[in-house]
Amino acid sequence: MKAPKYWLIAAVACVFGAGLTGCSVVQQGAKVLTDTGKLSEKDRDSIIKTSEALRSTFSEITEQEEYYIGRAVAALILSRYKVYDNGGMTNYVNVLGKAVSYSSDRPETYGGYHFLILDSDEVNALAAPGGFVFVTKGLVKQCKDEEMLASILAHEIGHVSAKHGLASIKKSRLVDAFKILGKEATTRYGPKELAELTGIFENVLGDIVESLVEKGYDRKYEYEADQLGVKFASRTGYDPNGLTRFLKTMVGGASGASGKGWFRTHPTAEDRIGKVDSSIRTMAMVPKTLPVRTERFAQSVKGLKP
Amino acid sequence: MNRPVRWSALVGVLVIFTVLLLAETVVVKIQTTNLRNEPKFYSQTIASLTAGSSLEKLSSQDGWFKVRTAAGVVGWIHSSAVETKKFNLLAVDKSMKTQASAGEVALAAKGFNKQVEENYKAKHGEADFAAVDRMLQLKISPSDVEAFLRKGKLGEFGGGK
Repeated sequence: MKAPKYWLIAAVACVFGAGLTGCSVVQQGAKVLTDTGKLSEKDRDSIIKTSEALRSTFSEITEQEEYYIGRAVAALILSRYKVYDNGGMTNYVNVLGKAVSYSSDRPETYGGYHFLILDSDEVNALAAPGGFVFVTKGLVKQCKDEEMLASILAHEIGHVSAKHGLASIKKSRLVDAFKILGKEATTRYGPKELAELTGIFENVLGDIVESLVEKGYDRKYEYEADQLGVKFASRTGYDPNGLTRFLKTMVGGASGASGKGWFRTHPTAEDRIGKVDSSIRTMAMVPKTLPVRTERFAQSVKGLKP
Repeated sequence: MNRPVRWSALVGVLVIFTVLLLAETVVVKIQTTNLRNEPKFYSQTIASLTAGSSLEKLSSQDGWFKVRTAAGVVGWIHSSAVETKKFNLLAVDKSMKTQASAGEVALAAKGFNKQVEENYKAKHGEADFAAVDRMLQLKISPSDVEAFLRKGKLGEFGGGK
């Protein structure tokens, strides 16, 4: 008579193990236990419900899906901005960005990190999911040294690393998507599923572009990206005060920083400086700004300076 | 009567979790990456790996895994490039032998894939995928990054770690 209780413990352990195993495994397991009379139908349903709920969060999006979402978000960004065509400077930003990514929490993504300069005087930086990072010409101009640019790229890599773009997708989209996706791996979808998935894809992109380009990220994501930026830049060997120095140039909307994303919305530069400063103060060792890098920066971006 | 049953259930659950913890297979989850001689990106490449490659995890160090490929090559891969192979709790059941593990499903082209992108692109001419493809052509070699770090006294060549 007592035996079913132990099966319940085992079943609960299976659900707990869903983080380690697949949800479909949990569902199959619950079914087997029910079929053999070791689990009631009610318990089975609640176990399956729990495992499905685990599937409907953004962290369940695969690396490859993130790549396709990121490509489309990048394609929409590139429909709004022209690319600044300067091979030497683009190469410099890519090597610098890649160097910082090596010291990040997520150096490897499905398609890798790639960086572009946008031909705009607006002061802005954007990162699409998976590692498509953009900085405007206006932002590069605003930087006085390599530490500043490195800190901004580190902040953007922070957004990618913590998957803030994917986190801004409304939960209902994912619930819809996971309903269609089911449990089988498919390489080609039929017309009906494809139309439905494309519709959801459009909504997903809408959510991300709204956060990224139009409204700006939630305040807590900006603060988190600042913290990660400080961490990744200093791990690379950069003085993380590059970020505070950059933010100071933006205080009070000086220098026409009425741009989007970074500065148009809250939190203000002042709020961010306070938080960044206090996290730098807790660091045991803060790298120093070196003239060799400042000279390299000046040399690399001289085409932009009047 | 009760006591032995309770103990056996406890031991059973412990065995399950021990097995899960000992599942030391990792699977490459990114498009392409390299197996390296040392745990750093600009160390010598000893094998090229693509999504889905299974590797045996031997040890770990500062975010890197020492692994062995199916061909027996031993080297280092960054932990962000792989996922831990999901262990199928019920694989012992014959009817489930054919079921793909969650890891394999995750690696298949499910969900938002090339086909969905093509369909989206056909409807949204304004989205500039050609520019994205050009962006993806920007490739930086690890040795260029190494030279950059060295010249800027960064990373292991300066104050970083």
